[in-house]
Amino acid sequence: MSDISRRKFLQTTSASALLLFSGLGRESQAASVQSYPSRKIANIKDLKVNEALAFNYPDENSPCVLVNVGQEAAGGIGKGKSVVSFSTRCTHMGCPLTYNNGRLVCKCHYSMFDVSRNGQTYQGLASQWVAQVVLRLDAATGNIFAEGVDGLIYGRIGNLKLS
Amino acid sequence: MSLTKRKDTLPIPPVDAEKYTTVCQYCSVGCGYNVFVWPEKRNGTAKSNAFKVDLSKQGQLMSGFSYTETMHNVITRKNGNRYNLAIIPAKESRINKGDYSIRGGTNALTAYTPTGVTKDRLKYPLLRKENGFVAISWDDAVEIIATLTKSSMDKYGADSVAMKFYDHGSSGLGFEDNWGAGKFFLSGVKTQYLSIHNRPAYNSEVWGSRERGMHELNYDVDDARLADTIVLWGSNAYEGATVFYTEHIMPNLQGGSIDEKKSEFAPGEPAEEGRIVIIDPRKNATTTVSQDISAERVLHLRPNLGTDWILANALARIAWENNWYDSAYLQKRTDMATFEDYKSKSLELAKPFAAFLADAEKITGVSRKEMEEAAAWMAKPKAGGFKRRTLTLYEKGIIWNMKNYDQVAAIAQLSVLTHNVGRPGTGCGRLGGHQEGYVRPGAPTPGSIYAGGPPKNVDKYITGGGGKIYWVGATDPYLSTPNSKFFKKSVKKRANNLLDYLDNGGIPSDPKAYVAKVLEAYEKTDGLFMIVQDIYKTHTSEDAMLILPAAGWGEAVDTSINCHSRLLRIYDKFMDAPGEALPDWKILALVGNKIKALYTADGNKEMAARFSGMEWKTDAEVFADGAQEFGDNRATEAEEARLSAECYKGVTHEMLRKLGNEGIQTPVRQDPASGKLVGTKRRYQYSFASKDGLFKWYGTDAWTGYPSEIAKYINNPTYPFWFTTGRSQHVWQTMYHDKRIPEKLMTVPLPYLEIHPDDAGKLNLKTGDMAEVFNEEGSCLALVYVNDATKPGLVFGIMFHAKGTMNNLTSSYTDPKTTIPWYKGTKVGVKKYNGKLDDAIKTVSLLSNNDFSMP
Repeated sequence: MSDISRRKFLQTTSASALLLFSGLGRESQAASVQSYPSRKIANIKDLKVNEALAFNYPDENSPCVLVNVGQEAAGGIGKGKSVVSFSTRCTHMGCPLTYNNGRLVCKCHYSMFDVSRNGQTYQGLASQWVAQVVLRLDAATGNIFAEGVDGLIYGRIGNLKLS
Repeated sequence: MSLTKRKDTLPIPPVDAEKYTTVCQYCSVGCGYNVFVWPEKRNGTAKSNAFKVDLSKQGQLMSGFSYTETMHNVITRKNGNRYNLAIIPAKESRINKGDYSIRGGTNALTAYTPTGVTKDRLKYPLLRKENGFVAISWDDAVEIIATLTKSSMDKYGADSVAMKFYDHGSSGLGFEDNWGAGKFFLSGVKTQYLSIHNRPAYNSEVWGSRERGMHELNYDVDDARLADTIVLWGSNAYEGATVFYTEHIMPNLQGGSIDEKKSEFAPGEPAEEGRIVIIDPRKNATTTVSQDISAERVLHLRPNLGTDWILANALARIAWENNWYDSAYLQKRTDMATFEDYKSKSLELAKPFAAFLADAEKITGVSRKEMEEAAAWMAKPKAGGFKRRTLTLYEKGIIWNMKNYDQVAAIAQLSVLTHNVGRPGTGCGRLGGHQEGYVRPGAPTPGSIYAGGPPKNVDKYITGGGGKIYWVGATDPYLSTPNSKFFKKSVKKRANNLLDYLDNGGIPSDPKAYVAKVLEAYEKTDGLFMIVQDIYKTHTSEDAMLILPAAGWGEAVDTSINCHSRLLRIYDKFMDAPGEALPDWKILALVGNKIKALYTADGNKEMAARFSGMEWKTDAEVFADGAQEFGDNRATEAEEARLSAECYKGVTHEMLRKLGNEGIQTPVRQDPASGKLVGTKRRYQYSFASKDGLFKWYGTDAWTGYPSEIAKYINNPTYPFWFTTGRSQHVWQTMYHDKRIPEKLMTVPLPYLEIHPDDAGKLNLKTGDMAEVFNEEGSCLALVYVNDATKPGLVFGIMFHAKGTMNNLTSSYTDPKTTIPWYKGTKVGVKKYNGKLDDAIKTVSLLSNNDFSMP
């Protein structure tokens, strides 16, 4: 619950912020820019290839995984840009996702997401790609910090908007 | 770095947001959706909103309420104001129960926005001039088409006008537009050169079943949950009819519908987890998902291409030899006179059983053991002697197979022989591709060669120099017609010949002078005036002379039925069409009324009468007018078989608006006792749809090998691979919307080819490489996936893609009984392409799409 108190909502109407949120020509509403907490989740030397580490982010009701996929991945950090992190709520109907050999898989309807490609639904039903946790690597210590979520976490109207 | 820009918050509809009900614009399932529209800046709150869901709490899994990034957009209405648009799956729909597919989940993204991915929607009629297309007024466009059509008919006859129009429901828009097109072409023009969306002729794809007295949509979604055995024959349900699989087939395989079975079955009748028989040369996603659920209850048969009717007859013979049929039922409900022909030609009872099965094994490549197991799963009575309940659903793997008529007839007959029609948990018909919404005046060709056919092949007519006007509506034959490279080359040449003639001395601006010069060109050249009517420019429209802007889904009121329950619902209008785009029925009415006026001015009453009756003002009027085609629908429950499958007579738009996601199942009958309109859940319990109510048997042809168009490749080492095609779960048809949605194009960036590891090794191919697929018909460059979906010696390609079409490779062969093409089989060579398309490779997932193995 401690994270919730650190939440901030920055109201903005600036043109640049609107531009930021209307990517790829899609109409989008940029009512607010949310400020995510920064939280240490692991040290890079503790990660083994293809062994997923579970944690919660941006709050305790949002399960995620951190994994070194052993190959360059979109949004990856580390020497090989191979460390990525995702929400494990399936974007289709909210079932838990399990990490398996480069994929996040959902047993409910068999949606399959490629963690090397931004959580792309490469097979299955989920029309939204799975939400990806934005990571930062502290070069000096090897500590990995979660600092944002790219994409909407299933079951939320906003990633930081739960009461 | 992100591949796409994402959202992490969504706007909330206020309590008073406009709310509409609709049905997904895509596949045969027809999932229910709810649409919310509200002013951009006037949002609701987490606690108080039009969804009636507390959005301040974390949503729970499988709650039936989903609102994701892809379900929202911002549209601009004709008043210039911006509105939020949310299109979310309907929990209250018994078809999808809040579930949705990767296609339907993006319905909102396809809405027209002036600055978004759909901004290039067609907005005005476009005429091709010296240097490309220029906008013209509807008045001029209508005058050109009407005058040219009339002049062409008067001078060269009605057959000088050829058409290729969609005839389905939903995305193209359903009953209203089909009635509009039907009135214009079938009552007005009366050309014989008609064709239905992708294919070369105007025909049913299932005359093999209909001419037996059995319409192909005879079951309900509930039957997929009640069946003891589901047979998917050339129908990849998980990918193609996704939510039907996940909401109705999957629960049955998992044992989740046993209680429903118990309440529906006879006392003492065994009710167990369902089994599934998948007949497909490819180990597709449906097979591997089903195997993950329960491998021991999945049987996968992989017949050689083109041999399925031999397999169906073999399964029927096994059922016959084991007495897995009910003589009393056959006597009462089927025509025993024609049964003799079936016994002699299909069951080949004169041939000893062992020899018969040995021949079937040799032709189909399916072992006797597999055939016997499949037949038992489909027809062997359950413990206690209760009849097994089997639902058999076929689709393009059968329809677009060699010998369309016999393939469909053989499966229909197997189901009736084993009494697997007209009981809960049974049925035999199409899985469907798109939804339906067909109501038109009678077609010039009523049936197969056994019923007045076959219909004319319009592709051969056009490529052979026939026709003067070719009107293409909401289909893209340059990608989708078989043997498409030849078709495109031929049409382009004729279109250019016309343009060259018009351009010589300048293209007249005045519509009358323009038409006069086109008519002059007809005398001097083989010129073809192609009209393309669509929502976007297409591959085909590049060679059109005139492009007409059509309204799309949500921009006009539409009614359609789905395939798995024939559920008629309203697809309400929730936004304006872009620019001056009009619903198809209105475009055809404008032209029809103009032609009528021209004939009236000529004093030609007979021709004026042919084009009358198109003076509709609203969508609702068109719907009501079309209903007259169904005739008298006063019928008791036991008389339902005599009603047309899509009969909706008496139903109105207003009634459907009130029914919302509940809808009503066609055929709708007016009950003689109560006078009320009543839907039909399941068909053919009491009789079949023939004159005497009896199922009509048919003796299928014997195996005679492959047609010459394919036989020429056999034993030719340049073309060592059998080749078949299919679809991807992600994208709809030619990707007309999906190629504009970044996530979709990144996931399926190129046409792709699946090849078995054994074959890939020999060609030094690996996943992510590019390969050229080729034969004497044409070629296609494709992204390679090496996986076990195909067998050694067989490769699979996506049928068509916005960036290339595998139909360049398909032959021009059609079943001589029906003029339905064999899209699904030919032979090809495969050559590694020494290069990579790097931009595509960086975004596409290279993981195997039929591997569902779990940790």
